[in-house]
Amino acid sequence: MRAAAAVSSTRVLLAALVGVIALALAGCGGASKPASGAGLTIDITIAHGQVTPANATLQATVRQPITLHVTSDATDELHVHSVPDHKFEVAATANQTFQFSVDVPGSVDVELHHLDRTVATIHVHP
Amino acid sequence: MTRAIIVAHGLGGSSDLPVPYAFSVIGAAWALTFTFALVALAWKRPRFDPANPARPLPAAVTTFVDSRVIRGVAAVATLAFTGWVLLAGVCGPQTQSNALLGVFYVLLWVGLVAISLLLGPVWRVISPMRTVYLLLQRITPERLAKPRLTYPESWGYRPAAVGLFAFVWMELASPNPAALPWVKTWLLIYAVVMLGGAWLCGQSWFARADPFGVYSMAVSRICPFRRDSKTQRIAIGNPFDHLLSLPIRPGIVAVLAVLLGSTAFDSFSSSATWRNFADDLARSIHAVPVSVSLSALRTIGMLVFIAVVATTFSLAARATGGIDREQRRALPGRLAHSLIPIVVGYIFAHYLSYLVERGQQAVFALADPLGKGWNLLGPGHLHIAYVLSLHPTVLAVIKVTSVVTGHIVAVIAAHDKALRLLPSGHQLTGQLTMMLVMVSYTFTGLYLLFSA
Repeated sequence: MRAAAAVSSTRVLLAALVGVIALALAGCGGASKPASGAGLTIDITIAHGQVTPANATLQATVRQPITLHVTSDATDELHVHSVPDHKFEVAATANQTFQFSVDVPGSVDVELHHLDRTVATIHVHP
Repeated sequence: MTRAIIVAHGLGGSSDLPVPYAFSVIGAAWALTFTFALVALAWKRPRFDPANPARPLPAAVTTFVDSRVIRGVAAVATLAFTGWVLLAGVCGPQTQSNALLGVFYVLLWVGLVAISLLLGPVWRVISPMRTVYLLLQRITPERLAKPRLTYPESWGYRPAAVGLFAFVWMELASPNPAALPWVKTWLLIYAVVMLGGAWLCGQSWFARADPFGVYSMAVSRICPFRRDSKTQRIAIGNPFDHLLSLPIRPGIVAVLAVLLGSTAFDSFSSSATWRNFADDLARSIHAVPVSVSLSALRTIGMLVFIAVVATTFSLAARATGGIDREQRRALPGRLAHSLIPIVVGYIFAHYLSYLVERGQQAVFALADPLGKGWNLLGPGHLHIAYVLSLHPTVLAVIKVTSVVTGHIVAVIAAHDKALRLLPSGHQLTGQLTMMLVMVSYTFTGLYLLFSA
């Protein structure tokens, strides 16, 4: 009997704790948001098998236009791993632009397919 | 040449946003506070016992679950489902949208955790390889069908740990997890090892060596449903009592370390720190293609994470005074059950959106296994509901809550078991290292959720 009472009090304590944590966390939902409005532009340079930037971290919001401004000395493919996803053919010329936007929040990788590098990870916030 | 990290888990698409910093810090503070409050203030006598009474469910439930017909139907239905998925894998479109990938990486790997947590060790009943084995056994002459060896008990769960590593290697470290030929080869090897082992050792091979069976069994120990230890009736009881019924066999710590270490490595390997490091190092090795050296680096990285979990846990379990060498050696196994909640909490935090959203994608793909525009059972007009991704704050709260809840359950379980295992006079000091190690797992987990 004593054991049962003790067990149930443990359970109550646990449930209360989980509730408190959830409340405490929900309270600080106002995390800083990236500025929206103007689009995000990423300048990408591919030269001699190297890409700049590489593994960059950027911030954006959903449905914000994101522009990739590419100068390359080789053909390649840019894959944007987002929802919906996008693929762009990169030619070996200067000043190509590709534009897209993302509908579902998440961390979106922009990858150069043949060079096998991640250009940037874009954190797309709601 | 496709890049594995990018085609995350072989399915493409975006991954979760990082958890906000403040959420991680609050979670960490709760975990730390609770742990030390527990050590200082909680009960001083062991309270949990697998023999403690549980509230039995109506007898009809036990009859239903134990009915041969129900078990047979569940087994055959799963076998048919497996056949359907393999049909998609073999004859369907050989692209990333093939239903096999979604079923393998999402419904099997993460769905199995969810269903075992809710219903118990279901894999034992539905395992398609076990069903195939039982069917084959019926049609072969008895002389051939009888197991010829007894399973070497000294192997314990080690074969399952190797199998689990093979799975996480395929998903997180192989050159291309989305490559269907590789996934099909993996499944073929799995089938051969399962059937071959069972042919030699009988059904105990599935209980010890099937990675999914052992995974399901371990997770099911925090399910509220269990069998009453005396009457075998299905009952609902305290999961803390149920946790203690985890069988202690060689390799159980390795099994849990593979699960926790690989999940942590999955977070870490998507961070810019790891990518910069791996990209630079892989490109400085010219002898092999970049994808091979990247895969080798990820394999090493994952092994390091797993080894760190296994070593820290084992050392922390042993760090107590007042016992002899033999008892000390047994301690990591006897405390292994307390690692399960941490593993489950972290896997949920890490893979929940994956299960809910990619799971829908996998189900939709199954309606059209051959890519011919079929729409069986009609989910084709539906769109994936991104219920979690669209609410990143809610998702972040769920993630931090499940990590912290897993931690709290783990330290309670470890504290209670320490009271039973450690000699008086060493009960407080003897569990301190374990508490510190668990706090460090949770801090690392929260840090990885926020940074990656």
